Amino acid sequence: MKRNDFWSPYVAGAGLGLTLLATFTIVGWGLGASSAFSLLTGVGMSKLSPEYAQSLEYFSQYLNVKAPLMNWVLFEIIGLFFGALAAAHIGGNFKFKLDKGANMGNGTRLFTAFGGGILIGFASRLARGCTSGVALSGGAQLAVSGWIFVISMFIGGFIVAALFRMLWS
Amino acid sequence: MTAPLVFSQGTGLLLAVILGIFFGLFLERGGLGNPHKLTGVFYLTDFTVPKVMFTAIIVAATGLYLLSDLKLLDMSRVWIVPTFFWPQLLGGALFGIGFVFSGYCPGTAVAGFASGRIDALVTMAGIGAGSFVFAILYPYIEGFYLSSPMDGATLPKVLGISHWFVMVFVYALAGGMFYLMERYERRN
Repeated sequence: MKRNDFWSPYVAGAGLGLTLLATFTIVGWGLGASSAFSLLTGVGMSKLSPEYAQSLEYFSQYLNVKAPLMNWVLFEIIGLFFGALAAAHIGGNFKFKLDKGANMGNGTRLFTAFGGGILIGFASRLARGCTSGVALSGGAQLAVSGWIFVISMFIGGFIVAALFRMLWS
Repeated sequence: MTAPLVFSQGTGLLLAVILGIFFGLFLERGGLGNPHKLTGVFYLTDFTVPKVMFTAIIVAATGLYLLSDLKLLDMSRVWIVPTFFWPQLLGGALFGIGFVFSGYCPGTAVAGFASGRIDALVTMAGIGAGSFVFAILYPYIEGFYLSSPMDGATLPKVLGISHWFVMVFVYALAGGMFYLMERYERRN
């Protein structure tokens, strides 16, 4: 297979949909992603400074359980990493690089990657999840949450893309 | 026996890894570890994200409501993603802004890192930092965070119509979008 020879988005989408359906059917909830990052941050904080981590009420949901790292979404994300790693090797698509827009310097890219990540991390907590847990899982349940999130995400993204053409073009 | 099934914690976590492997496989093979493809829709250059996303939603939604109608799956035991209208509307918009800046979302950042992208790892660190910022600010925004709750509201329940009636709109919306996107791509 030649480099970047991705599958049809409809085939990949159908596979993703069947994975999500299997998740609903087998375990009774959907796929997720962002809460694993929040959990790891909370647990990391509790190792650095247990008193400070305990003072953050939001993190108590992760810390006041018997084994915080025995978490379903965290294990799913570990699987996601290895599934994507295998897929990138199968497709001959694995390469260490700093990926960025055509007209962007490395310093700017580090800033947009980290700054964008901060916004995503904050927004995912406010929205109770991200593209996986709310948009995809909620969307497929026809949950109001999923459809609000999808619509406002596309509006927010289109506005930024219009104002910052140089990011990715 | 109706789904969802009940497992011990250990079996549940093993299933999480297996389902996660498929999740990652389809994300990467669909091109969703690549920030150029992930942001393409916002620049009208690549429509991979809406194509993958709406195909996945249609397949999963059709299967979910079909299994429920056939009494093979007990929908009352499926955890429905809860709705908090205003926080999710604002959260979605902020998320879209961060998505275009970073070129990733949380799951696709992991897929991007797994295909060797260092910038995706930087975004993953940013997502952790953003969660930390949220936890710090939580006492001040808790009121807004908990506002406009609608519990497990779904479009069929809120609109008071059959889920298949809603699905017809979803099929038409996705079909129309797919048609326009394919036509636009052929022209350019």
